[in-house]
Amino acid sequence: MADLTPTPSDVPAVVLDNVSKSFGDHTVLDGVSLTIERGSIAVMLGPSGTGKSVLLRCLVGLLQPDQGRVLVFGEDVAALDEKRAADRKRLFAVRRRFGMLFQDGALFDDMTVFDNVAFPMRLHTDLSEQAIHEKVSDRLARVGVAHAEQKFPSELSGGMRKRVAFARAIAIDPDIVLCDEPSSGLDPVMSATLDELILELHRTLGMTFIIISHDTAEARKVADTIGMLANGKLVTFGPAERVFAENHPALEQFFTRATVGPIKVV
Amino acid sequence: MDKLLRSLHTLGALVMFAGQVARSAFTPPVYLGETLRMMNVLAKRCVIPVSLAVAPVGAVISLQGISIFKLFGAERMLSSFLGTAIFREYSPALASVMVAAQAGSSIAARIGTMKVRGQIDALAVMSVDPVRFVVVPGVLACVIVAPLLSVLTNLLGVFSGWVFAVPIGGVDHGAFMEHLTAQITPADLWIGLGKCSLFGLGVGLIAGYLGLNVGKGAADVGKAANDTVVSTIVLILLVDYAVSMALLGAGL
Ligand SMILES: Nc1ncnc2c1ncn2[C@@H]1O[C@H](COP(=O)(O)OP(=O)(O)OP(=O)(O)O)[C@@H](O)[C@H]1O
Ligand SMILES: [Mg+2]
Repeated sequence: MADLTPTPSDVPAVVLDNVSKSFGDHTVLDGVSLTIERGSIAVMLGPSGTGKSVLLRCLVGLLQPDQGRVLVFGEDVAALDEKRAADRKRLFAVRRRFGMLFQDGALFDDMTVFDNVAFPMRLHTDLSEQAIHEKVSDRLARVGVAHAEQKFPSELSGGMRKRVAFARAIAIDPDIVLCDEPSSGLDPVMSATLDELILELHRTLGMTFIIISHDTAEARKVADTIGMLANGKLVTFGPAERVFAENHPALEQFFTRATVGPIKVV
Repeated sequence: MDKLLRSLHTLGALVMFAGQVARSAFTPPVYLGETLRMMNVLAKRCVIPVSLAVAPVGAVISLQGISIFKLFGAERMLSSFLGTAIFREYSPALASVMVAAQAGSSIAARIGTMKVRGQIDALAVMSVDPVRFVVVPGVLACVIVAPLLSVLTNLLGVFSGWVFAVPIGGVDHGAFMEHLTAQITPADLWIGLGKCSLFGLGVGLIAGYLGLNVGKGAADVGKAANDTVVSTIVLILLVDYAVSMALLGAGL
């Protein structure tokens, strides 16, 4: 993106340094530290309700951690307060490098599918309406919702909404794409198609992906970095081959779908 | 005591919010397209209810007025009373109350829904300041649409008054027009329009504030819309009274 100062290429995309976050007396993240390199595809696994979505929200400054640093291309997002004008400007500059697929889509109800995907392009690029049209149609075709361009979000199925939200997240070719469960609610074929699109965007445009998933097949297919969050802690995190080889009990439980193991349903 | 503190706190937050809205409205980026869209939506929502509300008022003023003015043999003067009442008081108040009821509730509900469904967060992540993108257009639309509606209610109110005074009440048309134009000054018109903009500003600000600070679910969205309508109508009637007293005192 043009208006941003280039960051030295050795600065990681994302660094979390001892990040903690509680709601009341409920500690959701408890001293999480991790580094996600540029151009990697990190898949975060973890049981429902452990704070995966909270982690993503901390990355874009929608939530402020109680403690710790959240470095995005070297800028500490956790230290920026959206309510202060000067901070907001810097926060917005960082956010422009993100595309985000929210867990429940968060499409704009009063805009058509087309306008939803065109929205970030119209705001943040100089593309002509013609160019936007081509790009939106292309993106929608790739996620298989080209036929629904003129529909409103309320007229789509859950899986379609998810795919439109993915198309919106990648609309302006962001540096980092955050995907909160992109494949939940999709059929296996569609979900594999989406995985391939992620791999292609990663290959051709060098986008960094941070993907939250419950889908272990997806993790095996796309991840070069794998992490697992449980009970507020990062139980394992690192290059996919290593993590798979070391086979942490919680991860194994996830992959084998066992009900007995370190992950407890209380 | 606790309640008083809480009200003071809300008031303070509202004032801060108004400051933020003002700064956002006068510095780029201003989302003009959104503002025009909101104006269109609000005008369409308000025009019929506001017309239905003001027409009977003009009629009633004429009907009641004639019977009283007749006692003094002064029915020819009826239109001067009608004009002042409509232009200065009824038209601005009714237009504003309708803007509060229709526009205020729809703005608060829309913003509240966007908030509880994560769309406000989505805007923020796309580096769009929600105050600029959803609140400012709503406030500007209210400030502009309310006086435009009052122009309409001025005409309609006087027209319905005319219907009940001239063809039905038998007042002479020439006298009606003469006293109407003699009595209504540009000041009446401007004061009415100014009051509408002021009330529109209040409606837009309160709707935006309550919408953005909505609770967690669908019921809270309904509450935000409802609170907006009730608080702005009370506020409009109170401020209207205060403004009228002040202007009368100042001899305007
Ligand atoms: N704004 C909030 N206020 C209070 N508690 C919250 C808030 N957001 C999240 N939580 C709590 O934090 C915990 C983690 O939530 P989160 O949404 O991150 O889970 P998750 O790991 O994404 O789960 P899932 O896989 O089901 O999406 C939950 O217990 C939730 O109740
Ligand atoms: Mg989640």
